[in-house]
Amino acid sequence: MDRNKIGKWLKSPGKMAQKYSLHALYFCTGCGIIEIPPTITARWDAERFGVIPVATPRQANLFLITGYVSLKTLKYIIRSYEQMPEPKFTVGFGSCPINGGMYWDSYNTIKHLDKYIPIDGWIAGCMPRPEAVFVAVTHLWTLIDKGKADGYKKYREDYELYRENQESVLGKLEWPPLFSKEKQHEASV
Amino acid sequence: MDTMVNTILEIIAIILLALLIGLFFLGLSRKITARMHWRYGPPITQPVIDIIKYFNQTSTSHGYLFSFGLILSLSGCIVLLLFLPFGHWCPLSSSGGLLVVLYLMLVSPLGLALSGGEAANPNASIGISRKFLLAMGYEIPLLLIVVGVMSYYDTISIVEIVDKQLQTGCSFQHLPLLLSGLAYVLILPAITGMRPFEMIQAPQEIASGPMAEYSGKFLAFTTIQHALNLFIGISLFTNLFLGGASNPGYFFLKTLVVLIVMLIVNAVFPRFRVEQAIRYLWKWSSALALIGLIIVAIT
Amino acid sequence: MNLEILLAIAFGGSFITYISGRISKKLRNIFAILISVGLIGFIGSLFGNTTEETICPGFWNFPLNLRINMLSWFFAITIAIIGALAIIFSLQYIKEKERTDFYYLMILLVNSSMIGIVLSGDLILFYIFWEIMSWSTFLLISYSRGPAISAGMKYIVMSIAGSVAMLVGILSLYTHYGTFIIADLSNQLSLNTPGFVLFIFILFFIAFGIKNAVWPFHTWLPPAHSEAPSPFSAILSGILVRMGMYGFLVIFFVIAGIDLFINLGSRLVHFNTILAWIGAINIIIPTFIAMLQNDSKRLLAWHGVGQGGYMVLGIAIGSSLGIAGGTFHIINHTSYIALLFLVVGAIEYCTKGIRDLNSLGGLIKKMPVTFIGALVGACGLIGIPLTNGFVSKWLIYKTLITDGYPFLAFAALLGTWGTILSLFKFIHNIFLGQLPEKYKNIKKPPFSMQLPIIILSLIIVTFGIIPGIPLKVINQIMISSGIDSLNITLWGVNSETGTINMLNIFTALLITGVLIWLIFKGSKKAKQIDQYDNYTAGTYVPKDKYHYSVEFYGPLNRMLRPYLKDFIDTFYLKLAKSVKNLGNGIRQIYAGDIGYYVTYIVFFLALLIFIQLKWTLW
Repeated sequence: MDRNKIGKWLKSPGKMAQKYSLHALYFCTGCGIIEIPPTITARWDAERFGVIPVATPRQANLFLITGYVSLKTLKYIIRSYEQMPEPKFTVGFGSCPINGGMYWDSYNTIKHLDKYIPIDGWIAGCMPRPEAVFVAVTHLWTLIDKGKADGYKKYREDYELYRENQESVLGKLEWPPLFSKEKQHEASV
Repeated sequence: MDTMVNTILEIIAIILLALLIGLFFLGLSRKITARMHWRYGPPITQPVIDIIKYFNQTSTSHGYLFSFGLILSLSGCIVLLLFLPFGHWCPLSSSGGLLVVLYLMLVSPLGLALSGGEAANPNASIGISRKFLLAMGYEIPLLLIVVGVMSYYDTISIVEIVDKQLQTGCSFQHLPLLLSGLAYVLILPAITGMRPFEMIQAPQEIASGPMAEYSGKFLAFTTIQHALNLFIGISLFTNLFLGGASNPGYFFLKTLVVLIVMLIVNAVFPRFRVEQAIRYLWKWSSALALIGLIIVAIT
Repeated sequence: MNLEILLAIAFGGSFITYISGRISKKLRNIFAILISVGLIGFIGSLFGNTTEETICPGFWNFPLNLRINMLSWFFAITIAIIGALAIIFSLQYIKEKERTDFYYLMILLVNSSMIGIVLSGDLILFYIFWEIMSWSTFLLISYSRGPAISAGMKYIVMSIAGSVAMLVGILSLYTHYGTFIIADLSNQLSLNTPGFVLFIFILFFIAFGIKNAVWPFHTWLPPAHSEAPSPFSAILSGILVRMGMYGFLVIFFVIAGIDLFINLGSRLVHFNTILAWIGAINIIIPTFIAMLQNDSKRLLAWHGVGQGGYMVLGIAIGSSLGIAGGTFHIINHTSYIALLFLVVGAIEYCTKGIRDLNSLGGLIKKMPVTFIGALVGACGLIGIPLTNGFVSKWLIYKTLITDGYPFLAFAALLGTWGTILSLFKFIHNIFLGQLPEKYKNIKKPPFSMQLPIIILSLIIVTFGIIPGIPLKVINQIMISSGIDSLNITLWGVNSETGTINMLNIFTALLITGVLIWLIFKGSKKAKQIDQYDNYTAGTYVPKDKYHYSVEFYGPLNRMLRPYLKDFIDTFYLKLAKSVKNLGNGIRQIYAGDIGYYVTYIVFFLALLIFIQLKWTLW
């Protein structure tokens, strides 16, 4: 890690701070959540990477989607994702968000989560071990360094497509659109 | 003119040093707790990294009172710093003494409560009600202790209390104040919000209480306020009972020792419920503090 | 001459207002405002006068005097200002109700009689004006019929008991010293007759204690404040109950004198120590009972009882800091409790009569000015630095600690925390939280209601930052009563054992506040969202169900409720019931049957004959 390199801190403190202080939303989806408590407690310590779980989406900037996504859960995932402040990063765990995984022909699960919210990285496995979580976090750091972890920017620009996909599967949504047409070109981070 | 420049430099030095020491204490508390749990834990500079990240995030606000409450709370904290002696520095010592300190300690929770109330979230309201209930709990023994100390030294000015202790030894060495000091040690985790009295920010129960709707720069200010509150709570105890210090470095060492003793309790305990906390604070520490006050009043 | 004209304008004005109300409403409103504001100007022009004049040399052979000195002026200007603000507030508030002419007549009569009380130099006039004030208050408390009538009955019965005690005291002073005039009685009481002095003190303590709602006599106050119309509640709790404090000041410091007051008592226990302990109990119990209330006016009424304890405590200690603190607390308390009652009145007006704390919420978005007034009033009541409540409480605490009363100091400091808890519940349940659907379209209160709120908030903050202005007046009061004066500067008090300087605190808070605000503005701008975009763990906010206000301090209520019953009230009700039963029992003698009466006569004659035979008395 380059956490102790003062030069990089002085050049771009925002990016360095985003990397080394990823607060994960403690959102328990599906069966993958069983791997998260060992990761954040004493045996495989996630706090040394700066990752701690927080209670509300407003305080979080890392969203871990840890298993299969049913239709009900999709509504909550979209709502929580929209309440997170920018810059935010999402990571999909396991094979279910990638292509449906074990539930590839179920009527109730979402097969390609990428159509509904933007995902920055995937971890393959059913379930991935805690060491795989750490590999994912360090890989996310490299992506942030290179500027490729820009799922939230994609969400802002292509919001209409995303909303269309969400409404096609969930029906009419109760909350108003997050970005109206004029705001899509506002400068964010 | 000279003294005014001196005072202004003292004020700036105290605020910056208190902020640095507070953030250092926060990081140290996470590290020591982690080591006691047989794991490594984040680097000691992690709170600084958190604050820089928070300032880099966007934020949402529910209204004007949302920001104003937080500003009021933080400025109350900073003004309170100027009334507590830090080594031999105490800029605003001649403006009312310990009574002003006791009343300025009300501004900070009130500001946070107003801001959390504006968030229109019942989790925030429950957190605020718990905060005030806990404050009600520890104020009874704290007032008994502070009135006892003021009566014993026959003054309301903290600077005089520190001077008298530097001459005649710290308050623990004066027999009438021994019980009051023990009672203060029992309530010290409650004043600074460490476990087992951490029920205000209970992430698993009430979604972090008053901070439920904070994001971005509001969280940065909350972290700074947490750091300053930790420092102020420990500093008041050091000044009243451990004799203050004659220079800032020695003062920092004394507060560090107090912090490490509190952290050993913090790492092991879960959190109380509010009625258990109030019962504990009103039973044992109030009894000790009351007996201490009676002893001081008799002698 | 001036004083007679003043009283004539005050009383005559009330009747002119009533009569002009029959002609036209607008004329009556103009008259009411003119008279009340004119009274402020008139009294203000009398600042610094110290005159005494006889208005009627032979009222049943007793001369009647009016007098004005600094103490009377201090109270008179407060009465005039609060009266004017309440009348301006009630222009819109009382418009929809019935018998409005009667309301204006009574409220002006109450103001005039209070001014008469403080201006009277003679115990007969004092008693006359006291009685006029009492029954006009009763008529106003029962103004809105229904449960208000029983509240008014409770008030008037206790007030009459107090007036009877006062009459006994006045008459015994006359039989001992032969005069009713206060100035002549000033130096007559002495330590040679301690039993008589104690008797007088206890009688007047009962009389003024019932009016001031000191702890054993406080039970009339909560129902009376809740049922009265809100502008009158502001006058009632603000300055009317403090007429009892004026009475205390007159009897303890003007008639008896400070030396007699401090030295009365044996070696073990002094009179003023007992009074101080009554004050301390008066602080703690009502402020904690206020925490359990669900009706906003009842909560404020219990605080009115509680803060009276500070004044009694300050005055009872007898040192110059204590008396200054207690007297200053009188006008401080007037300003913020009047402000809070006017805020409740504004909310009642806008929500068409709701004052129950469990059904309001989120009104800050609709009434921001009212919220700022409530916040400043609440901060003053708690005693946050930069409000005037802090200065008066600081003076009281300092004298308690440095004069060696640690337990009283603890009791006084503890009252603050009960106040914070209950007032935060008040502010949160009315103004913060989620706005219910049925109040989405309410309008702001009209300007005539916002104006008194703004003026009172300005007074609170100004007297908090520059406490020297009222403290100088209080200093002169103390000098004229023979108490040592304090060293007052414009910004605070310098005494030899510790100073208070509000300028430092004010500047420090201002500069740090501005700096942090600048840092705040310099960071990224926050996006404004409404109350429906809230953390609900992923769903949307259920309307009207997402508000935490019922049982706001649930755990503490469960712990304290069994201990905080108002047992004095139960005692008085039992006393009233047993008197009624006794009366019923005696009534049984008159059975209506002539046989019983003949039996009574025969038995009584037999008893008389028996006594004559045995002991030959006649």
